[in-house]
Amino acid sequence: MSFLKAFTKKLSSRPEFGVFVAFAILFVGFSLTATNFLTFESIAGIVTVAAELGIVTAGITFLMIAGEFDLSVGSVLGVSGMIFAITATAGLPHIVGLLLALGAAAVIGLINGVMVVHTEVPSFIITLGSQMLWRGVILAVTRGFPVRYWGDSALLFALNGRFAGQLRVSAFWFLTVVFLLAFVLTRTRYGNWVFATGGGPQAAKTLGIPINRVKIVNFILSAILAGLAGCIQFARFRSIDPTRGQGLELEAIAAAVIGGTLMTGGYGSLIGALLGALLVGMVRSGLIMAGAPSYWYQAFIGIVLIVASVVNIRLTRRWTSR
Amino acid sequence: MKKVLLLALLLSLVGSVFAAEYTFYIVSHGGPGDPFWGVVMKGMQDAADFLNKATGDTIKVAYFGPKVYSVTELVDMLNSAIAARPNGLAVTITDPAAVDEPLRRAIALGIPVIAINVPDPRPAAERIPYMFYVGGDEYLSGKRAAERMLSVRKPTRAVVTIHEVGHIGLELRAQGFIEVMTAAGVPAEKLVTGLDPTQAIEILRGYFTRHPDTDAIFTLGSIDSAYVIQFLKEEGLTGKVLLGCFDVSQDVVKAIEDGIALFTISQQQYLQGYMPIIWLYLYNKYGFRPANDILTGPGFVDASNVHLVTELVKQGYW
Repeated sequence: MSFLKAFTKKLSSRPEFGVFVAFAILFVGFSLTATNFLTFESIAGIVTVAAELGIVTAGITFLMIAGEFDLSVGSVLGVSGMIFAITATAGLPHIVGLLLALGAAAVIGLINGVMVVHTEVPSFIITLGSQMLWRGVILAVTRGFPVRYWGDSALLFALNGRFAGQLRVSAFWFLTVVFLLAFVLTRTRYGNWVFATGGGPQAAKTLGIPINRVKIVNFILSAILAGLAGCIQFARFRSIDPTRGQGLELEAIAAAVIGGTLMTGGYGSLIGALLGALLVGMVRSGLIMAGAPSYWYQAFIGIVLIVASVVNIRLTRRWTSR
Repeated sequence: MKKVLLLALLLSLVGSVFAAEYTFYIVSHGGPGDPFWGVVMKGMQDAADFLNKATGDTIKVAYFGPKVYSVTELVDMLNSAIAARPNGLAVTITDPAAVDEPLRRAIALGIPVIAINVPDPRPAAERIPYMFYVGGDEYLSGKRAAERMLSVRKPTRAVVTIHEVGHIGLELRAQGFIEVMTAAGVPAEKLVTGLDPTQAIEILRGYFTRHPDTDAIFTLGSIDSAYVIQFLKEEGLTGKVLLGCFDVSQDVVKAIEDGIALFTISQQQYLQGYMPIIWLYLYNKYGFRPANDILTGPGFVDASNVHLVTELVKQGYW
């Protein structure tokens, strides 16, 4: 009995505990109410939605643990996808286009990071400006038109082809990114630096942790992952319109917070981010399969976000006060 | 040499007595960078070029539109346009409350005003007393789309994809479509697909899982059209589902050519730039005015005229 108690205590002290419970409840709920919810096709569909969102969420989570924000990820997704699309239509090899797209994302991330660290303007503002700036550049360059590519290649398949039923390669990239980052966060010195940078920057500084460098690297990472999601999306749809990625930043932050990451930094989990993204994808499909009018989706996500945040903060308080 | 110059001067003087000069402005909520409004601007310029060539009068036209959607800037632009005392104005009534005062002032000053693209939705007595409206009818577009589908066959269930919830134009299109379908005994409803293509496709898949009998889709813009076309291809549903689209884009044109889409609706916005200039000229010169609003849409692109449209899209008419 005391073993069980100790076990549940240990479990509930994990940041991803709240989202795990929410996920389980909703999963059972949808299994009972939604038509054909428990099928391979439907689960694969949820994973496909979660994959692109989750790759972006993973980057944002990493950055949020270091105590910063990135509202520009949606625009970065658009910029990278657009560069990939334009270079492909111009006849450049796809690998070159992909590298250019990710390179551009890295540069945007670098600018975001350097601006935040050196001006000491909150990242909320800097990346909000960055979001507007790059969305504006996309609009100006495309003059509002979508960019369409009609070709094909092995690289495009490797990014987001369909390999088993509705399951896509994007799921593989999603898992790879999450587990790689989870490993770095929990098993390496850099991971400790990230927690320390977000948890107590002053203490971290006195301990000799290069907090500015940590933040800049995390900004770059967040941007590259958003860029990767843009390229993955382009690989499937072969077209990019200028609105691509709009509103994604808030969905990604919501998924990160539902996954147990605190807005204040120093606390969070990549596995939580994974579950958060899956939960968002599940609610999307589940509500429709349960026959709920689709106008209610956003309201439902709002409720989930609030409930999850309240539960998460309670759990963290209980855990840290002991 | 002097004699030639003198003669030229004399001729131009005589000319200016007989040939009139007119200035017309289009003031719109749409920025010049938006491809939709690029077509309207082309229509405006083409009408002016035509009149200049055909009549011997001088017609000057200019287009004003804020770069980013801004009602304040629109009103500022409208005020400067009125201050220049043009011979005619064509204005989009996107925000009736905001343009009400300036437009009533312009009309009181004797400047002929035409509404384009978006009319004043209020009842006739409260409406801004512009001469007439040149533009599409969103509600009618939805109705016609449904009628067109029903003329091919009666679907079992129809769905309208909406990518921008709360956009009144889109909602009206959906409403017209759903009303006609419902009256014909076909269950029809809206499905929010949003802007993200990956999510949109899973939403559609979820809907088709819930309602496998769905066999008609009406899309409300080029963004959701592209996703729906991809969805039908990936699921092998092309040919089984009646597809009607809105707006003309590369994807939609190709889908019509391939037989995936039945039609797409256009409001033929070229005419929203062209017709006001012609009518403002006719009104200024001869006092002519049409008895009714001029509806430029719904215009249909289908298998019968798609070859024509493909070429005209490249030339900027669609």
